[in-house]
Amino acid sequence: MSESTETAGATERLVGHQTVERLLGTSLYVVSGLLLLFLWVPLAIIIFLAFAENAVTIFPFEGLTLDNFRLALRSDSMRASLAGSFTIATVAASVATVLGVLASFALTRYRFRLREVYRTFGIIPMVIPGIILGVALRIYFQNLLGILPGFATVVLAHSLYGLPFVLLIVSARLYTFDESLEEAARDLGADPLTVFRDVTLPVIAPAVGAGFLFAWIRSFEDYIRALFLTGPNTDVLTIWMFSRIRQLDAPELNAVSALIVFGIAIALAVAMNVGNVTGYVAGTVTEEEG
Amino acid sequence: MAADEPDESARARAVRLLSGPRSRLGVTVGPSAAWILTLLVAPLAFMVAVSFFEVSSLTYQIVYEPTLNNYRSLFDGGGAIWNTPFVTALWLSYVIATVTTLLCLTLAFPLAYLLARSGGRLFKVVIFFVLLPFFTMYLVRAYSWVLMFGPGGVINSTLMSWGLIDAPLGIFNYGVPAIIVGLTHAYFPYMLLTLYASLDGLDFSIIEAARDLGASRVEVLRDHVIPLTLPGIIGGSLFVFVPSVGAFITPTFLGQGKVQMIGMLIESRVAGTYSIGYASAASMFVLVSIVGAMILAFRYVSIEELGGA
Repeated sequence: MSESTETAGATERLVGHQTVERLLGTSLYVVSGLLLLFLWVPLAIIIFLAFAENAVTIFPFEGLTLDNFRLALRSDSMRASLAGSFTIATVAASVATVLGVLASFALTRYRFRLREVYRTFGIIPMVIPGIILGVALRIYFQNLLGILPGFATVVLAHSLYGLPFVLLIVSARLYTFDESLEEAARDLGADPLTVFRDVTLPVIAPAVGAGFLFAWIRSFEDYIRALFLTGPNTDVLTIWMFSRIRQLDAPELNAVSALIVFGIAIALAVAMNVGNVTGYVAGTVTEEEG
Repeated sequence: MAADEPDESARARAVRLLSGPRSRLGVTVGPSAAWILTLLVAPLAFMVAVSFFEVSSLTYQIVYEPTLNNYRSLFDGGGAIWNTPFVTALWLSYVIATVTTLLCLTLAFPLAYLLARSGGRLFKVVIFFVLLPFFTMYLVRAYSWVLMFGPGGVINSTLMSWGLIDAPLGIFNYGVPAIIVGLTHAYFPYMLLTLYASLDGLDFSIIEAARDLGASRVEVLRDHVIPLTLPGIIGGSLFVFVPSVGAFITPTFLGQGKVQMIGMLIESRVAGTYSIGYASAASMFVLVSIVGAMILAFRYVSIEELGGA
C-alpha cells in the first residue's frame, strides 16, 4: 500500500514529506468512508423506518413495531405482483442465458462477417435508455404486429434486455478458457455434445450462473420497460411499488423495501463466498475464478 | 458415452448439426441474431418510421403518409423555440446528466484507487458494501431519497429537531439538486466498478518510479494515472451519462412535478394521449445524441473494455 510508494527516494525528500503522505492516506480513507456512508444512509433509514410506528420520517419517533411487515405481507396485490415479477424475471433470464451463452461461443470461437456489428448490437439493449426501448417495443407490438401488451411482451423485452449481461460475462470467461482441454477430449473420442457437457460447461458454469443472476435482477427491478409492455392481467412488483411511492404510502413500502435489501444482502454474501462476484461485475475475470 | 442417452436419433442429429463450421455458426449466432433483429433493430427502425408519420388521435392508428409534423410539434409551443417543453426538457436532461457524471467521477476515483491498492479482508468488506446498494432495486434506492428529501423529509426534520435550523431548507426540498443526488446514488456503482477495473490493471510501479524521479503528485496523476485509466474514465462516464439522460423514475419522484426531464416528457405523451408520433420524434434526438456520445467514446475505448458493469 502507501508505504511502498515512499520507500526508495524518501530520504532525499523534504522532512515534511512523511506527514503529507500520511495526511493524504488518511484523507483517502476519510473520503472513502464518507462515500460508503452516502451509499448506505438512505437504505439504513428505510430499514429503520420499516420498523418504526411513524413510517414517514424519524422525528417525532413513536416507537418500534412489526405492523408494517404484517400489513405488507398480508396485501394480496403485493403478493400477486411479487409472484408476477418472479415469473417474468425467471423466464426472461432463462431465455437471455441460452441466447447469451450461444452468442458468446460465436463471438469468442468463430470469425464471421459483421462480427463487430453483431457484438455491438448485442451490447446495445443494456445501454439504450429503458424509456426508448420500452416505447419502441410498445409501438412495434401494438401498431405494427397487432399484439396487445401482456406477459409475453414483457418477457420478450426483458429477455432482450438481459442478453448483454450474459453475453459480456460469459464471453469474458470464454476468452480465457483453455481450448486445448476440449481438443484433448475430442482426441479421446468424445463428440461435441459430450465435450460441452463434461469439459466446457463445468468451467464456464459460474459465469453462466452470474450472467443469469444479472439478467434476473435487471428484469426484476425494471419499471419503465414493464410499464409500457405489461397488460392488465400481468402484475409487476415495480409497478405496484411505483404507484405507492406516488401516493407516499410509506408503511407497506418501507417493509417491502427492507425485505428486498435483506434478501439481496443474503444472496450477495452467499454469492461472494461461492464465486468471484467482483470479477464478474467489474469485468476483471482473468484466470481461474477464486 | 452415447450409450446412456435415451434418444439416440435426436442426439445423432444434434451432433451432426454441430459438426460443420457453417451449421455451428448458425446454431450459435442464429437465435440471438433473430432476437436482436426482431426485438431491437426492427422496433427502432419502426420508431424512426413512426416519427415521420401522422398518428390519428381518434383511432391511434398510423396514417402512412410522410410528414414532418411530429418534428415541427417538438419546437412548436407558441413562444420561442427554447421555451418549448421539448427543448427545455432535453437541455435540462443534458445539464443534469453532465453534472451527475462529473460528480460520480470525482467521488468514485478516490474510492476506486483505494480498492485497487488494497487487498484481502478490507477489500472484501468494502466491495460488499458497494455492491449491496448496486444490486438493490433501483426503485427502492430512488424511494429512499424520497424519504430523505422534502420539507418534512428525514434531512430537514432531523436538522430541525437537532435545533440546527428553524425552518426546512430549500436545498433539501425536491427539485434539481435532489435529482442529481438521487442519480449520483443510482449510478455511482457503475462508475466505481468501471474505474476499479481499469485501476486494477494499472502497474503501480510506474507511479513509484515517476515519484522517485521527482514528479509531483499532480504530475503523476496528470501524466500517468489519468492517461492509463482513460478507458475506465470514459467507459464509466458513458455508463452514468447515458442512463441519466433518459432517467425517468428518479426525476419523477425527486422532482415532484417541478422538473421535467426528457424521459418524463416522452412517458407522459405515450401514457397520457398515446402521442407516439411526438414521442418517437423526441426519442430520435435522445438516440442520436447517445449514439454520438458512444462513437466519441469508442475512439478511446473498445466495446470489450466497456464490459462488465
